[in-house]
Amino acid sequence: MNFFRITLTRSAIGLPRRTTDVLKSLGLKKRMGTVFHPVSQDIAGKIMRVKELVEVREVQERLTRKQLHLERKPDPGYYIEKRSTAEFLEQRGQ
Amino acid sequence: MFKPSSPLFGGLLWKTPWRISSPQKARQRKRLRAVDQVVDTVAAALARQGQSTKSINRWYDEMPREQEMLPKDKYTIFDKKERRYRKSIHKLPKWTRVSQRVNPPGF
Repeated sequence: MNFFRITLTRSAIGLPRRTTDVLKSLGLKKRMGTVFHPVSQDIAGKIMRVKELVEVREVQERLTRKQLHLERKPDPGYYIEKRSTAEFLEQRGQ
Repeated sequence: MFKPSSPLFGGLLWKTPWRISSPQKARQRKRLRAVDQVVDTVAAALARQGQSTKSINRWYDEMPREQEMLPKDKYTIFDKKERRYRKSIHKLPKWTRVSQRVNPPGF
């Protein structure tokens, strides 16, 4: 099943009330907020109403909030050294 | 140095330049392409499921793509009150967030 990955890039401040309502029904509240919706005609119609404000991609699966956060998280720039046994066991657990 | 002028003296006189600048034009083209891309993505995703939507079909029937548009249509809009019936697109309220691509019939 494919999903639309919709990100709000432009805010709807000052636009007609119905534009805000469409965003609300898609679950978009803040700029840069991302939601996933299954590919369907009604979602496509909603996207068409706010096409100037959003960025859309078609993806295979929906991500959780945590996964989305980890996508944005930068590389810490360091790594923690461990004993080889501990590292081995950690890799095995994954 | 303070140079007395009407916008600086009178509190609420804001002036919109008559001309649109070239970086504004470049960003306008970028936005037009972004909208094209959103519509293409949605249409392709629906087509993969063998579906289509009225609003998308209408968009493809009526709206030109960024590459097909004339500079005249990208940067100016029809206005019946203007001389020669055209004014710069940045005079249009919310011009960065609306799709304004076609002219009234005959213009």
